[in-house]
Amino acid sequence: MSNKAAIINRVKQQIRTQYDMPVLPIKGIEYADKIAQFKETLRAVGGEAVELKQGEDLDTVISLHYPEAKTIASNLEDTTLATISPDNVNSAHDLKNIDLAIVRGEIGVAENACVWVPQLMKERVICFISEYLVILLDKNSVVNNMHEAYEQINFHDSCFGVFISGPSKTADIEQALVVGAHGPKGVLVILL
Amino acid sequence: MSTKHTKAADLFIENKEQQVWHNKTLHFVRDKRDKMAMQLPEWEVLRETAHKIKMHTITHLDHYLDLFSTRAEANGIQVHWAKDAEEHNQIVYEILQSHKVRKLVKSKSMLAEECHLNPYLIDKGINVVESDLGERILQLLNEPPSHIVMPAIHLKRQEVGKLFEEKLHTEKDNSDPTYLTRAARAHLREEFLTADAAMTGANFGVAETGDIVVCTNEGNADMGTALPPLHIVTMGMEKVIPNLQSLSVFIRLLARSATGQPVTAYTSHYRKPREGCEMHLVIVDNGRSEALSNEDHIQTLKCIRCGACMNTCPVYRRSGGYSYTYFIPGPIGINLGMLHAPKEYYDNLSACSLCYSCNNVCPVKIDLADQIYKWRQNLDSFGKADPMKKVMSEGMKFMFERPALFRTGLKMAPIVNHMPRPLIYNGLNDWGKGRELPQFASESFAALWKKGKVSAANQKRSNHEQ
Ligand code: SF4
Repeated sequence: MSNKAAIINRVKQQIRTQYDMPVLPIKGIEYADKIAQFKETLRAVGGEAVELKQGEDLDTVISLHYPEAKTIASNLEDTTLATISPDNVNSAHDLKNIDLAIVRGEIGVAENACVWVPQLMKERVICFISEYLVILLDKNSVVNNMHEAYEQINFHDSCFGVFISGPSKTADIEQALVVGAHGPKGVLVILL
Repeated sequence: MSTKHTKAADLFIENKEQQVWHNKTLHFVRDKRDKMAMQLPEWEVLRETAHKIKMHTITHLDHYLDLFSTRAEANGIQVHWAKDAEEHNQIVYEILQSHKVRKLVKSKSMLAEECHLNPYLIDKGINVVESDLGERILQLLNEPPSHIVMPAIHLKRQEVGKLFEEKLHTEKDNSDPTYLTRAARAHLREEFLTADAAMTGANFGVAETGDIVVCTNEGNADMGTALPPLHIVTMGMEKVIPNLQSLSVFIRLLARSATGQPVTAYTSHYRKPREGCEMHLVIVDNGRSEALSNEDHIQTLKCIRCGACMNTCPVYRRSGGYSYTYFIPGPIGINLGMLHAPKEYYDNLSACSLCYSCNNVCPVKIDLADQIYKWRQNLDSFGKADPMKKVMSEGMKFMFERPALFRTGLKMAPIVNHMPRPLIYNGLNDWGKGRELPQFASESFAALWKKGKVSAANQKRSNHEQ
C-alpha cells in the first residue's frame, strides 16, 4: 500500500508554476432586514420560521404546530415536551421512531436559510431520523451570508456540526420536488 | 465523421419526446442557476476568488495534504493513502473486513464510480446499498448515472414506477413522484437501520481544521453516518481547500451552480468519529498528481463536481449522459476522460460545439472549451484525427493561403443557392445531416465593404434587399 510520504513526494515533484492565495474574506451580500430575509428564504426552501412573541409559551407554540407528535426527542431545558433524550440511549438505533426532534441552532444565515447546528447531544441522529424538526434560534444570531457565518461557527469540541436549510428533499424522479426524502418532512425555526 | 458519441447520441434522439424533455428540463435548471447568480452582486467576485483559491491550493497541494491529514489524525480519524483505484478498493475492503461488515450504506460518490468500487465489493460478498434516491434507482436497474448531480435524469417516472412495482412492491401503475419517494424512504430507512457501516465521499476537506464536508439535499449521508459504528470517507486529493473562509466561498457557489438552490439542505462537517465509533479517511491520487504537471489541463483539478457545465451544454442536453464513453459526461467529462486515457476516450471530443457556455457558467472558471480545443489540435499525436476533417482543413489552409482563389470561391458561392438538393445534401456532406445550408448572399461582405456599402444602417437595408 502507498504511504503518505510517497504520495506527497510525488505531488511535490509534479507541481510547476505556483499561485498565490487571494485575499479573504470577500464582502458578501447584506440585507436591510436580515430576519425578514431569513424567513423568506426559509419559506422558499420549504421550511417555516416563527418569532416567539412576548408572553408566548414555547411548549404551547410547538404543540400547536405538531398536535400529533407523540414521541419527542430533545435534551434542551427550554422545553418540557421531550419524551426521550438523545443523551440517554444505549444506541442511536433506539431513536428510530421519533415524531419530532427539538434542537438548538446557533447561527441563522439570511442568504440561504441555513442554521448552524453543532452536535451538542450524544446521538445526533434525531436531527435526521425524526419526521419533523424544530430548531430554536436566537434572533440576534442571524447573519447576512456564509462568510459571516463561517467566521463564527463553533463546534464546542464536538465531533460534528451541520448547516440545515429547510427540510430534507429530492428531485430525483423527473425533477419533481418531493419534501421529506430521508430526513424531516418539515422544519420549523422558532426565533427567540 | 461519426464517433462513438455521435452514434450513441443517434440512439438517444430516436425518442424525440424524451430528448425534448431532457433538453428543456436541464435548461430549466440552468435558468434557475442564472436567477440565483443574479441575486448576488458579488457573483463574479465569488467565481474569481474560487478559481484563485483552487489554483493556489492545487499548486501547494503537498503542503495542504500534509496539513489536512495531520489535523484529521489529531482529531482521531484514521488516514489511508491510495495511489490508484485498485489500492482505494483494497483499503476500503480491508477496513470493512476488519469490522466484519456485511451491509454498507453508501451516499453518492463520483470517486467510488471512478474506482468501480461497488462491483469490487459486491464480488467479495458485501451488500452495498446506495442511499441517494437517484443512485438507488439506478442500482436497482443496474445502470450507471447519466449526470453527476442528477444521476437518474434520463428516466421517466413511469420507468421508476415499474421498477418499484417489481422491487419494492408498490401499487401497480402508480408513478406519482411523492408516492414513489415515500416508498423509497421506507425501504431505505430499513437499510439504514440494519447497516454495519456507512461510506461517503467528500465535497471538501478543510486543511486548517481537518474537517470533511459533505453536501446533500436528502440527508442520506447524515442518516447513514449517524447510526452504525463505522464511517469511511474516500476523497480525491484535489478536494482539499485551505480553511473555513475558503469553504464559505465554495458553499455559496456549489448549490447555486448545481441546481439553482441557495444551498443544499444539509452542509455537514465531520470533524471526529462519533463517541465509541471509528472514522477512516482514504485520500486518493489515481492520476491526479500527473495532471498537476500538465499546464494545459491542470485546471480540471479545480472542479467541484457541480454539473453546471452539463446543464448548459447544448450537446449534453440533446444527447444525454450515456452518449459519452467516459463515466463523467459533459464538458468536464470530456476533459477528464482525455486526461485518464486519451486513446480510449477521444471520441467524446466530438461532443462539443465550442460555444463556450460551459466556461461561462463554471463556478471555478475552468477553461473547459479551451481545453477541448487543445485536445482536438493534438488528436494527430494519438493518431486519431478524423481523415475527412483533415482533408477539409488541408483544403481550407490551401484556400486561405491563396487570397485570389479564396475571393473567386466566394464570388461563386451563391451558385450553390441554385444547385439541385441531391448535389448538396448527399452522403458526402456530413455537415448537411439534420441541418439546412444557409442562403449565400449575392455579394460577399468583402465586396460590399469595398463599394462602401457597409455601415450599420446600410447593412440592415442590404440584408432586406436580398
Ligand atoms: S467543470 Fe465547473 S461547471 Fe463543470 S462540474 Fe466542474 S465545477 Fe461544475
